Amino acid sequence: MADDKKSKHSKHRSLVFESIYPVVALMLILVACVELCDAATVVDVYRLIQYDISGVPFGSRFSSLNHHAASLSFQRGADLSRSVLILPLRELDIGFVQDYISQKQSLGGLLILLPQTFRPGNVGSVISETEGFRKLLAQLEKLLVHGNIPFPVYFAFENEETDAMLADVKKNDALGQQATATTGGYKLVISVSEPRKIASPTITNIQGWLPGSRADGDSNQLPTIAVVASYDTFGAAPALSVGSDSNGSGVVALLEVARLFSILYSNPKTRGRYNLLFALTSGGPYNYEGTQKWLKSLDQRMRESIDYAICLNSVGSWDNELLVHVSKPPDNAYIKQIFEGFSNVAEDLGFQVALKHKKINISNSRVAWEHEQFSRLRVTAATLSELSTPPELLENAGSLSDTRQLVNENAIIKGVKLVAESLARHIYGHQGKDIKIFADNSSLAVNPFYVRSWLDLLSQTPRVAPFLSKNEPLIMALKKELEDYTAEVSVQHESLDSSFTFYDSTKASLNIYQVASVTFDLLLLLVLGSYLIVLFSFLVITTRGLDDLISLFRRPPSRKVKMA
Amino acid sequence: MTLFHFFNCAILTFGPHAVYYSATPLSEYDTLGTSVKAAVVYLATALVKLVCLATFLQVSETEVFDPYQEALKAMIGFIDVAGLYFALAQLTHRNISQNHKFQAVGLGWAFADSVLHRLAPLWVGARGLEFTWDYVLQGLEANANLVFTISLAALGSLMWLRKNKPKTLIPIIYTCAVIIATMPSITSYQKRVMGWHFPKIVGFELVTSLVMAFCSCQLFILCQRPSL
Repeated sequence: MADDKKSKHSKHRSLVFESIYPVVALMLILVACVELCDAATVVDVYRLIQYDISGVPFGSRFSSLNHHAASLSFQRGADLSRSVLILPLRELDIGFVQDYISQKQSLGGLLILLPQTFRPGNVGSVISETEGFRKLLAQLEKLLVHGNIPFPVYFAFENEETDAMLADVKKNDALGQQATATTGGYKLVISVSEPRKIASPTITNIQGWLPGSRADGDSNQLPTIAVVASYDTFGAAPALSVGSDSNGSGVVALLEVARLFSILYSNPKTRGRYNLLFALTSGGPYNYEGTQKWLKSLDQRMRESIDYAICLNSVGSWDNELLVHVSKPPDNAYIKQIFEGFSNVAEDLGFQVALKHKKINISNSRVAWEHEQFSRLRVTAATLSELSTPPELLENAGSLSDTRQLVNENAIIKGVKLVAESLARHIYGHQGKDIKIFADNSSLAVNPFYVRSWLDLLSQTPRVAPFLSKNEPLIMALKKELEDYTAEVSVQHESLDSSFTFYDSTKASLNIYQVASVTFDLLLLLVLGSYLIVLFSFLVITTRGLDDLISLFRRPPSRKVKMA
Repeated sequence: MTLFHFFNCAILTFGPHAVYYSATPLSEYDTLGTSVKAAVVYLATALVKLVCLATFLQVSETEVFDPYQEALKAMIGFIDVAGLYFALAQLTHRNISQNHKFQAVGLGWAFADSVLHRLAPLWVGARGLEFTWDYVLQGLEANANLVFTISLAALGSLMWLRKNKPKTLIPIIYTCAVIIATMPSITSYQKRVMGWHFPKIVGFELVTSLVMAFCSCQLFILCQRPSL
């Protein structure tokens, strides 16, 4: 009987235990999974671009970060290889950064804090206040983009939390207490995966075709005039390269010219005897590769029918003089004609144009202006730009300092008037006559609100070509806009030349943790241990008496006596 | 920080309970069963309180001190007292002297309270990289709570288990018990109306707990004399 009861009891017990196992397992899993991110501060950061040209690495080669914060007030000779240096732009010393990069000193990471005025979409400040910063920023970008940097570099915008953290870090550094594992401070963590190559980046060209009117019985192909602008950018931080002036201004000018001519060409009576071809090309910073591929893809007859092409590059921040860059010699008849057309209109509008000639060097693969791609294929072309010197490779293509405030809408409007009037005078045969086709307050006036809204949109959209997908919303929007104004729109996808390789991971979240040192933890443990011991002794004394406490520590001597 | 800090805060929060059990004669008389029963009663009381709070209370978005809501919360807080009464008076315990019964019940009650209210935030929060003083303060609050609960249990045992009490002391006993029972309302009043921050509130709780412990100790001793 007793045995039966015992076995039943043990069976019952084992059943109970067995049913507990899954619950315990579930609890363990739940407990292990609860790993919340509880940083006090999370900041959006943008990574420096990482790219290779023919296998030669440039930019920052790493992306994840997990180090303590340090500021510029660190002691000379301190080891920063396990720290992230926080550099506000306001206190930047270019020489210092240059030394660090050229001497290949090891650094855990670099975080550059930019003033809020450089944030895309911020229209607060005036240009003159930020002049010094822009120059400094341009120098810094040049240094970072053309160097091979073996640590992660991130850009962030200043806000209250970063200011507070930086002040704290500076205070600690000044006291000589650099943040390490044993002394506490701030820890900056960015946890992203290793950057991967972008496989087969695409460049997308969008073209719009506005056909002219054929006279009855005219079997010849009508001549064509092309207006071209490249819409993509390149800058130190791809997630921030909005390129308002280079080349957002050119894109906006092209769209406005297309709109004006679509009004003219919609009425058969005012349709000119020229076809108009509008092209938004990509691959601008990479030697205008998109333009080259687009031209090669054009039908031979179409290409031969192009009378001339006007390329627009940075027309947003000039005052009195716009430059016409050509590659054919200035005494060429066509060039003379184009330039005269421009200068007549400019005189009427109250500013000047100047002609600049730069010969193409066939052996040099560098293509500084878009019109050079046309000239290499024997098409007459000129670039209208405010820049006087040809930009270097990967320069002037939408840097961090190229924000909305740099662009003056009136400059774009003047540029649009220049292009539209001179084209119209050429098309309708009114060269030299004093006629204003696109006069203000007429139905064909340039619409400043249109210019402003597209400019605002482009100034908030980063447009680095390898990071744009084939069906990017911006590309769809540009295509739709051209569809509204032209008769035929075609989109061409090409892959970027293999000598340029790009890596992803352009944007991340920075977690800032305020950490206490290990010594603090040990100290706390000591305090708590002594508190518990004191509590224990107190309770023993008050409830059982002092003798009991002492007897706990003394081994009872009676045993030894008994053994003996 | 992480696990080391979690360990520190855990021993601050739960250590005193273990120390109390082992240091006092409770461990000699093996009163663990009583403590466990008290913990279970606390669990049931907490559930009942939650249901009542959910049914009767309105959630306000701002930290405004609404006297009606606070009065309602205080009344629901008396369910705590009812639970303690049940644990002290109604449950059958083994033959333990009254002296140890209230200690064991108070200990079990306070331990369950700490575990339910403080273990989860500790596990989730103290293991992160970010360091805050919150969890250390929470541990100190747990200590104060232990003292409060044991004092309340002492006064409760005086009120319900001891039949012959000197007449003059009865109102004092009841006043002290009411003060301890309404501590949550008092702290929320301080937080919202007087705008005290957490460290100040914890300091106040610690001081008050020591004062209350002293009072209830004296009352207990005074009440013991007539029975001798």
